[in-house]
Amino acid sequence: MNGVTALLILLVLVAGFALVQRRRLFAILGMSVFSLLLSAVFLLASAPDVAITEAAIGAALGTFVYVLAIRKTGRLMVAANDVPGLLHEETGVLSGFEVDVLRRVAAASGLELVVGLMSRDEVEDAVRRGEADVAAGGIVESPDAQPDLLATEPHLATAQFTVRTPSAQGPSAIFRGEVGDLIDAVRGGDEVAVDLDLARLLALSRATPRQLEVARRDGTAGYVFLVAGERGDLLQRVNAEIDRMRRAGELDEIARRHLS
Amino acid sequence: MTWRRAMPWAAVAVVAAFCGLVLSQFGLGQERASDAELWMRAAASLGARNVVSAIILGVRLLDTLVEVIVFTVAVLGVRYFLKIQEESTKAGEEIPESPLVAASSAILLPGILMLGAYVTVCGHLSPGGGFSGGAIAASALLLAAASLGAERVSARFAESRFERVEWGALAILLLVTLAPALLGRAVTTDLLPAGVRGNLASGGTILPYNVLISVKVFLGSWVIVHHFLRHRGEI
Repeated sequence: MNGVTALLILLVLVAGFALVQRRRLFAILGMSVFSLLLSAVFLLASAPDVAITEAAIGAALGTFVYVLAIRKTGRLMVAANDVPGLLHEETGVLSGFEVDVLRRVAAASGLELVVGLMSRDEVEDAVRRGEADVAAGGIVESPDAQPDLLATEPHLATAQFTVRTPSAQGPSAIFRGEVGDLIDAVRGGDEVAVDLDLARLLALSRATPRQLEVARRDGTAGYVFLVAGERGDLLQRVNAEIDRMRRAGELDEIARRHLS
Repeated sequence: MTWRRAMPWAAVAVVAAFCGLVLSQFGLGQERASDAELWMRAAASLGARNVVSAIILGVRLLDTLVEVIVFTVAVLGVRYFLKIQEESTKAGEEIPESPLVAASSAILLPGILMLGAYVTVCGHLSPGGGFSGGAIAASALLLAAASLGAERVSARFAESRFERVEWGALAILLLVTLAPALLGRAVTTDLLPAGVRGNLASGGTILPYNVLISVKVFLGSWVIVHHFLRHRGEI
């Protein structure tokens, strides 16, 4: 097998690599490598002029145009769980504390915010699979962090509360389901004993007229966003924007608007 | 692997199989064409070492000229049709770039510009020429745009003056091409001496053509990219 044949086979593999990438930046880099390999093929085929042009246009100019374009027209994909007050959809309109924070984070990077609502378990999986950039929707920071996900700095303080309907029996358990289901259960007359974070507690207490026994548990925690383990750059950008908003007093202002 | 994920690979396989078939019929770079000697002699008579330059700027000059005009029309189209589009917000321009990109672009920028100039000026001696030289130099400007922001680069390079230089280059290019006809000679006559083959000052009008085309491509590429960036278009 001579050099040209090896390069041609490599070209096919790189083209496939570029086509199947989920992240656009990797696809662009794949195309850039493709152009470089192609210019090597031209060189070996005694066409150095074409090789220079292919390298200049394909690998350099084209790559730059694509990179600048995705930076200007890119999207910040957010996978989120619906929690009233934090991130809630009603009649097709998203609102809440985290929505406003994420909108500013996206705008600071020149991105368009796109939110996909899903169940709590699916949220983290969507980020792991690379289908979403950020996981949001009432995620409380936990000491046993998952190694494949990175948590941002907390953007809002919370605490854990034990919530009981008056005649609930037995110990409480950390609630990991949908807050909407919990509200339906309490409204329907079920007896529940669960540990909830602040936003879900507020949503529950606002939605039901029933008397609830609420006890605050020791310690405080914060709501965070999660990003995939290899997205350190994104983590840094989100943290920088949250920090800026905190110092400018914007976080307090948004919290007052949505949670008080 | 689901069909959805396998589909891009299937597409690549089909295209690769087709290209493989074509290449196996024609061979690739094994031997020179039978009329290669003819072209070499034509290039030598023009005083150029690079046969490709001799052909595109000597024997087939009109093709190249019309290509430059096509490029000019494309730049014009981008410039005037994108003006209709609303300008995007400046939010994207304020992205703090990582210090690595900023530092490396400062180091690479002069080198890339120099390479672009070299490829242009030596287009008649070695592989290269105006098109590739201009594109290489334009990529230096894009690198600057990535680290500084497109608007700042545009302000620093005084883009309004750019436009005059760009049109000036095209006007001179057309004038140089028409000069033999204006002097009553055949259109393809080379007015400049062929010179000693291998010297920088050789190849007749190939060198001035390359420089003018390079200026045109350099400025035109920047104008296209800058307009795409400014008017968040459909890229």
